[in-house]
Amino acid sequence: MHTNPLMDVLRDPLGKAGIILLAAITLMAVFAPFLSDYSPNQYTGEIFSRPSAEHPLGTDSVGQDIWSRLLWGARTSLAVGAAVALISTICSIFIGATSAIFGGLYDRFWMRIVDAMLAIPAIIVMILVAAYLRPDLLILVLLLSAFSWPPGARILRAQTLSLKERMHVSAAATFGAGWSHILKRHIIPDLSPIIVAVMIADCRRAIFMEAGLSFLGVSDPTMVSWGKIMHQSLQFTYLDVWQWWLVPAGIALSLTLVGLSLIGFSLESAMDPRLASRPRKEIGGGSDA
Amino acid sequence: MNASRPPHGNFINYLLALVAIFSLNFILPRMMPGDPLHAIYGDEALVAMTPQMEAYLTEKFALNQPWSSQFTAYASGLLQGDLGYSYYYKDQVSTVIMGALPWTLLLAGLALIIATILGTALGIESGYRRGRPLDRGLIASLMFLSGFPDFFVGILLLLIFGVCLGVAPLSGATTPYSGATGLAYALDVAHHLILPLSALVLVQLGGIYLLTRNTMVSVLKERFIMTARAKGCSDSRIRYEHAGRNSLLPVVTATGMRLPQIITGALFIEIVFSYPGVGSLLSSSLDARDYPLIQGILLLVTVAVLTANLGVDLLYRRLDPRVRYAH
Amino acid sequence: MLEIKDLVVSFNRSPVLNGIDLSISPGDSLAIIGESGAGKSTLGLSIIGLVEGEVKGRIQLGQRDLLTLSEDEMRSLRGKEIGMVFQNVEDALNPLQEISDQVTEAMTVHGFKADASNRSLRLLEAVGLDRETADKFPHQMSGGEKQRALIAMALANDPQVLILDEPTASLDALTKSDILDLLRSAVAGKMALVITHDIATAAKLCNKIAVLYAGKVVETGRTEDLLSSPRHPYTRGLIRSYPNMTTTKDLQGIPGRMAHGVAGCPFHRRCTQKIEICTQQEPKLLPQKGRMIACHRGGIVPLLELDGVNISFEARRVLSDVSLTLYEGETLAVVGESGSGKTTLARAVIGLYQPDSGGITLEEKAVTKRDLDFYKTVQMIYQNPKESLSHRMNVFSLVKEPLDVQRLGSAEEKALRVKRALGEVELPADDDFLGRYPHQLSGGEAQRVAIARAMVLEPKLLIADEPTSALDASVQAKILRLLMDLQEKRGLSILFITHDLALARKVSDRLAVLHRGKIVEEGPTSAVISYPRHEYTRVLLEHASNLGDDRNSGWSDENVLQIDRRDAILSA
Repeated sequence: MHTNPLMDVLRDPLGKAGIILLAAITLMAVFAPFLSDYSPNQYTGEIFSRPSAEHPLGTDSVGQDIWSRLLWGARTSLAVGAAVALISTICSIFIGATSAIFGGLYDRFWMRIVDAMLAIPAIIVMILVAAYLRPDLLILVLLLSAFSWPPGARILRAQTLSLKERMHVSAAATFGAGWSHILKRHIIPDLSPIIVAVMIADCRRAIFMEAGLSFLGVSDPTMVSWGKIMHQSLQFTYLDVWQWWLVPAGIALSLTLVGLSLIGFSLESAMDPRLASRPRKEIGGGSDA
Repeated sequence: MNASRPPHGNFINYLLALVAIFSLNFILPRMMPGDPLHAIYGDEALVAMTPQMEAYLTEKFALNQPWSSQFTAYASGLLQGDLGYSYYYKDQVSTVIMGALPWTLLLAGLALIIATILGTALGIESGYRRGRPLDRGLIASLMFLSGFPDFFVGILLLLIFGVCLGVAPLSGATTPYSGATGLAYALDVAHHLILPLSALVLVQLGGIYLLTRNTMVSVLKERFIMTARAKGCSDSRIRYEHAGRNSLLPVVTATGMRLPQIITGALFIEIVFSYPGVGSLLSSSLDARDYPLIQGILLLVTVAVLTANLGVDLLYRRLDPRVRYAH
Repeated sequence: MLEIKDLVVSFNRSPVLNGIDLSISPGDSLAIIGESGAGKSTLGLSIIGLVEGEVKGRIQLGQRDLLTLSEDEMRSLRGKEIGMVFQNVEDALNPLQEISDQVTEAMTVHGFKADASNRSLRLLEAVGLDRETADKFPHQMSGGEKQRALIAMALANDPQVLILDEPTASLDALTKSDILDLLRSAVAGKMALVITHDIATAAKLCNKIAVLYAGKVVETGRTEDLLSSPRHPYTRGLIRSYPNMTTTKDLQGIPGRMAHGVAGCPFHRRCTQKIEICTQQEPKLLPQKGRMIACHRGGIVPLLELDGVNISFEARRVLSDVSLTLYEGETLAVVGESGSGKTTLARAVIGLYQPDSGGITLEEKAVTKRDLDFYKTVQMIYQNPKESLSHRMNVFSLVKEPLDVQRLGSAEEKALRVKRALGEVELPADDDFLGRYPHQLSGGEAQRVAIARAMVLEPKLLIADEPTSALDASVQAKILRLLMDLQEKRGLSILFITHDLALARKVSDRLAVLHRGKIVEEGPTSAVISYPRHEYTRVLLEHASNLGDDRNSGWSDENVLQIDRRDAILSA
């Protein structure tokens, strides 16, 4: 059966919802400078001002425009998410695929590392490291990537292994095809939806972790981030400022994560036809096959 | 089928993970620029420290000696259960953590139990009714919910029930100075627990539900379900005894994988509700840069997670005869 | 009595079973055979009420119509009155339960709780699983053991109806034979429905067979009759394509592939004897000589019939009272020594000799004159191709000649048909080859050209008179393969005249032995070869080509002869 899971996501209502959510947040991030008159770290002269035409979401405890901080926060989140997804997935592909292809001691070495890293609660280690380093954006991305690659590597290794065993790949090998041909024509195309799924999972985790670390207050103080907004505003729940300060940041963060979850879920369902929510037409029953 | 965990080798993995964490704890402060004692103890401590104390500590950690001696000193300290001294709380780190730990265990443990039971039950029912309104509704709503970061769910519950409706306490685990005992005390604890617990359960529920549901859908397509139906088994027998039991296996595995999430989730949610557990402790130690305490907490959490994972592995062997007998 | 009446099962409104009528009496065992996707499993599942599609019609068990029962009533029948044995696929048993518990469950769910676990152990013992195996989990058991456990489960409540769904698939030959023995005793006295694509299983277990094609029953009958002389073209195709130890002819397939929802006869697109009505109207399943056949033409049609043909040359009887029938798409070999009259027989059919008495019928019409139409239907190839090809004509004109004679088509059309015919016999159709003369061709090529010349008119009957006796064995093999492929594709009937019994054995469906102008024996090739009745046939068999492979031959090692008892049973 020939399927293209990536296209199925576009047809699935959940997948569509996820893509729309993510697109909206991306637009916010891209057009941030045009959507707000203030720079996010600029003191506007007024603290705790209520929402107005001037400040759509008012100002915070140090007089910064909350709306522009929200927009720039989207930039941070998406930048972190995208960068980590890219770096970590490349590591996952490289380590996963080479382990599967070379096997032997090399494979055992990497899988031991992967297993050990999977056993460690990554966020805990991140907190510890961040507490010492107070990382800026670049260090944060590298740190997150360093802890994000193992699950993806495991998945891609398993998938490459099973592809390697599949008949059409062995058949290609019997035509005398070399590894580069097999990789290009048979493995990568079959792997691509899984790579996308791994990227989405990495991206989601990175955005979540960045927000969490900022929420704990252990990231670089100059970074504009939704987690940081929530960290700052949580101290003021006794005032009604939370309505336009705390909640919008939380919602923006949540919707980004939900969007990614929906796309990921939809993609996974599309890749596993057994989970398709509509029963497929089955003629003649299984045992005839 | 679902026996994804090799029973062997896991123990070694946990050991490796533990060694990695110990090493990180040892290396990180010593890699920081400047005075290592400063890095180990943080800003607050240095202010309060007398030169005698500094000399004693330098001696204790063997900071003026090569790394190998430093590591020996560090490891022997750990082995004796010495996690260091918190200058912020002016007490042994282990004592401080032990004071907060019961609350975290209460919160995380209850959340784990409730979320697993509820998620599995919903997953089994939903998977059994694949494609029907209940299934679709549950998928969409729980997917949506589990996308939310745990601390924000906590914040929302706090704002709605605590701030707006005023039906739940805003912070703490008990009403201060109430002097309540017995049942009244238990009710007070429950009253304080309900919001953080709900937040944690709500966030964790989605993952457990979705996994059970998907496993259930797959298991229902397996041939032994048809065999059971041909025997004349009732719907409920098929749903629980045959499909349900087989769907539990990956859930058990996933529960192990989920422990770090639940524990860290509990830490974050405690911060939101100022719940006096390890999470709040972590938050204040981070604010105060009380490094010994931060290290102690993280070490403890890691050990807890690894131990729990080991427990899950053992449980899995009891549940799946294929793993039990294969080795 | 289990009676299925006009059963229609559809998935998403497209029918998978379309009007099934079947009945099984107690003591009967009915096999449902057919290709994958014919709807066999769906049929089994609809009887036990586990089919997911939309079901219409009637399934009558005793006084009850199963299709009108509620799910609860149906559930209480399942496993109690209707047992089902599934194929031993990887996950046919619950991986988390011990085998004895799974058998016990089959009883307890129907309320038979007393002593259930002891009875389950006895049941397992009866199917050949000892106490130790009873306590095992499925993953610890072999395929055969699992199949036995599945059988025990189905028998737990001694059901009156037993449905076996591919009970021997994925078992090795020895295990399969053991399981078949077990099943044969299990189905005794019950109403059994055996779903299988394995004709040998059907033959061993069942006294009746129903052939299912694209959701319809196309033929039913007693097992021996149906297997020895299939009457529906599809049944014949199935049997021809099934490897077994008794058929001697090489395997042949069925052209095309099965499709559901075809207008008219469901098989017509693959059928080589279809007529116009087949594409328009669906045939009904009607009784025909002790069978039920759904075919507008009443099953495979007799193409050529010889009835009491006598030919004498100057008072010498060359053929006396020869009667033969050749069916559509079949090869009839006429075997005999030189002078037995076989060539005369061939020439009589093609019209080179006139019979003194007796009739020849072609397509159910008596042949009175050999006109152009006759030669469009009947063509012949000869022993020595080079003699039959005029040395003055090149390949192109040779193959085109019949078209010229019949005045078929324009010059371009003729050229096209010539090239197609050459393609069919796997010869090049380039100008170089078309321009060659017979003396430039090898023996094999020449015979191929002769075949192409015969096939260019698309005849229904090909008379092949010792077509390969002048050729090397390797070339002969290829020519014979070619003829069988043409038969498979076109439904060509072949009257194969030969002196070589070993050759006839490989290419023919039926065999007639001609001795001094008389047919002394006639029947399915395998039967004639294995159980010759006439003395002359035995003599021919004794002298047939033989590479010294019989049991007493010189090269055989003693060890080779130590054939396992079960091997002997299998090949019997």
